[in-house]
Amino acid sequence: MRRLLLFAAAALLAACATPQKTRESQVKEDHVSEAWRHQRPEPGEPVPLKVPTFWRTRLDNGLTVIVSERHDLPIVSVDVALRSGSGADPVGKAGLAQLTYQLLLEGAGDRDAAALDRAFADLGTSPTLDAAADGGYVGVEVLKENLDAAMALLADVVLRPRFQPASFQHRKEQALSALAYQVGNPTYLGFEAMAATLYGEQHPYGSPGSGTPESVTSLTLEDARAFWTRAAVPDQAAIIFAGDIVPEQAVALAEKHFGAWKGKGTSQPTPRAPTVARRSQIVVVPKPGLQQTLILVGRPGIEAGNADEYALDLANAVFGGLFGSRLNMNLREDKGYTYGARSSLDPRRGVGPLIAYTQVRADVTGPALVEVFNELEGLASRPISEEELEGAREGKIRSIPGWFETVGALASAGARLFWLDLPLDHYQRLLDGLQNASLDQVREKARAYLAPETMQIVLVGDPEIIRTQVEPLGLGDLVVREPPTMVGTP
Amino acid sequence: MPWIARTALSILTLLAAAPAAASQTQESEETVLSIPFEKYTLDNGLEVILSVDRKLPVVAVNVWYHVGAFHEQPGRTGFAHLFEHMMFQGSKHIEDDAHITLLQQIGATDVNGTTNFDRTNYFETVPAHHLETALWLESDRMGFLLDAMSEEKLENQREVVKNERRQRTDAAPYGLAREAAWQALFPLPHPYFGSVIGSMEDLDAATMEDVHNFFETWYAPSNATLAIVGDIDVEKTKELVEKYFGSLPSRAKPQAPVVEDVALDREVVIRMDEPVATLPMVIMYWHSPRIFTEGDATADIVANALGTGKASRLHQRLVYEKKLVQSVSAYQYSLGAQSVFGIQAVARPGKSTDDIVAEIDAVLAELRQTGVSPEEMQRARNRFETRRVLGLQRVGGFGGKADMLQSYNHFLGDPGMLAWDLARYEQVTTDETRAFARDVLAPDRRVVLHAVPPAQGGQGR
Repeated sequence: MRRLLLFAAAALLAACATPQKTRESQVKEDHVSEAWRHQRPEPGEPVPLKVPTFWRTRLDNGLTVIVSERHDLPIVSVDVALRSGSGADPVGKAGLAQLTYQLLLEGAGDRDAAALDRAFADLGTSPTLDAAADGGYVGVEVLKENLDAAMALLADVVLRPRFQPASFQHRKEQALSALAYQVGNPTYLGFEAMAATLYGEQHPYGSPGSGTPESVTSLTLEDARAFWTRAAVPDQAAIIFAGDIVPEQAVALAEKHFGAWKGKGTSQPTPRAPTVARRSQIVVVPKPGLQQTLILVGRPGIEAGNADEYALDLANAVFGGLFGSRLNMNLREDKGYTYGARSSLDPRRGVGPLIAYTQVRADVTGPALVEVFNELEGLASRPISEEELEGAREGKIRSIPGWFETVGALASAGARLFWLDLPLDHYQRLLDGLQNASLDQVREKARAYLAPETMQIVLVGDPEIIRTQVEPLGLGDLVVREPPTMVGTP
Repeated sequence: MPWIARTALSILTLLAAAPAAASQTQESEETVLSIPFEKYTLDNGLEVILSVDRKLPVVAVNVWYHVGAFHEQPGRTGFAHLFEHMMFQGSKHIEDDAHITLLQQIGATDVNGTTNFDRTNYFETVPAHHLETALWLESDRMGFLLDAMSEEKLENQREVVKNERRQRTDAAPYGLAREAAWQALFPLPHPYFGSVIGSMEDLDAATMEDVHNFFETWYAPSNATLAIVGDIDVEKTKELVEKYFGSLPSRAKPQAPVVEDVALDREVVIRMDEPVATLPMVIMYWHSPRIFTEGDATADIVANALGTGKASRLHQRLVYEKKLVQSVSAYQYSLGAQSVFGIQAVARPGKSTDDIVAEIDAVLAELRQTGVSPEEMQRARNRFETRRVLGLQRVGGFGGKADMLQSYNHFLGDPGMLAWDLARYEQVTTDETRAFARDVLAPDRRVVLHAVPPAQGGQGR
């Protein structure tokens, strides 16, 4: 807090010291003499920070209701969120959560897939859904006048899905077809290989949420029914309302449409923390002839609620989290190797990954990888400066209101609070945590979590170019991981 | 642009989520959506649009230069977009590479620039007390870009853009296929030929002289519009705009090139090997009515009935009944010179693109008979209305309120055309959709491209 107050004082002084020029005098001046343009303007008086706020209650059946109010437009985003996501896929059944959530929209209550789609379309909307690592949701964004009718449809979808054999078969074929597409996509291949490298394929976070051709082929309708029976219980569910609605209305709608929902479940267990190993190998996913190489460099990061989060978040921002980060400025703006390079931290219920990635033109694969490691090593040899930290800190803090312009963003944030068991004042804590992280802490977390020898490497690209350029670097032995192959036609 | 540049190709997907329009529902006939604004022009010709929105303490600053790929010279495809990159490399009073870094350090969101066929825009959403910093940055590159230009910067950004082209086109699933279909629709010398991103050869050919000429011609204040939307004090903002932009020298408003419409007189069929993706794809393109002209709204309605949602006609027939495709979409890509109506379908493994074309044609043949039904039409209007209201949530960014005001201003000369835009959809009739399917979506005046991976049977040419 101290820092922001000082900031305000400086702004006030500046405002007093700078008289406005009149327009006439400006026009007469030659541009060369507009010396004031050399000076970055002083900011005005800082506006109060506005972090998203959430209200929460539980119904008698255990269902959580979360509300975030925003009344400027007559719209509401409503999500039904469940604490079972792709991390709850049984071993060997990767892709089950995603397929099951998708199956919800293939028929529910009195309606088949087309009738359901038309019913939502009559309300001006299409539902969205996703199964993320720690939970899933199905939701809509509607004009307020359509909210009650949309809730009735969502209740059908969540409480009365049809799960018919033909629909299951259709969804499974579509999922396999989507995978046939993905196995040609370098980005899918890279993140799939990195997840397996960091966690092992048996770990809940070790496979992609969409599964693999082999795992999806093994899925049955009984698997989907069993998944949904475990997942769809009111005490592991929340309805999140964001927008032009007040808590009383939200509770009344939740009671009306979901009040009769019964059942008890247990939360998806928190995945065990993977071991952080020294790198011994480089994983190469061959894609002969590809004009670019996808470089991924990563390691297990942190779980949500870890005390290191704020300092590490700032360290990552300086390293690769922002456009002006060391990584992007080096690989893009200095070397011209890439269209962009960045790194991201993904705290989950369990330990989520910390991954830096970039796509570089194939003929600079080796030099680009060297520069990524130069920047990792630079966190020790050129410690993060006060100036770098303050830029990242101010940027992160001040950008919070801008990230929550939409009711959709508010609802997503509410769902994340629920999945990760985060406190309602999470964003205020985030603000305080970012505010209070010291330079020493940020430097220490940078060195600890971005230590070069613990960073695993995955490369997707032309195997011959990779062999020629990367083998001599001494970063590890190259190990080929063939892209998954499709197992027969569905 | 910088972080996530958006060229025409990515705009296609965005348009599907944020296109035009909406109607009033029967219950709320009297509520007409509008965005309050004030528009005026500085002495040097710069247009200014101000709009107050106090929902959050943020302000969107958004500059449209009325120049895009349409205005490029022959042999310089991709130049408008390459130039956009140069606008982030510093100017007389702004250090190299400082622009985005500084904005991110003060908490800006939605920082980007995008180039499409008709215009180039630059935007940032800043905390309200940093408005002046955003104006300082935008005015400096409008007035003093060339003072800090250098060969080294051009070389660097040339490489960045070539990487962007690899990432979006050469090494992306279906990137080369989309480009080939597009080029068949707009053969040289049509300026849309280059697909905004341009060719490697033309990017290599760009010179410092090109940079200077392009700036002097097209980046005149008289060819730009500045929109400021958000938590602002209007009078104070006007003073700031005058301070930062008022003294920039005036230059003549440039004349846009005169380009003849192109038309196909036959069906152009292209068969090519798909080098990246693993599933076959079909692309169909037709020339369609220009943005905001007669038939443009009809095209949106037809696209919605054909391709939006599981109950849409193409989805029902190709995904559910025939089980031929993994995905299918239809869209009207509204542009200033000539628009494009597109249908794309990704095959399921092992399915033939010829069978897919036949089924799409069957759906189109039926549409020529039935037209879009009143029920389908109403659902489309409902979707458009909801999307448009949702679109009013963001003051800036790609497709936010500032872009909406700019778009109406750019194409119609008046930022306040939202209500008019929405009303267009009320007037579309079933007969018009039938005529559209017959006259615009004609089977003998289109491009059909089959992109087939070698592993899926290769593809004949």
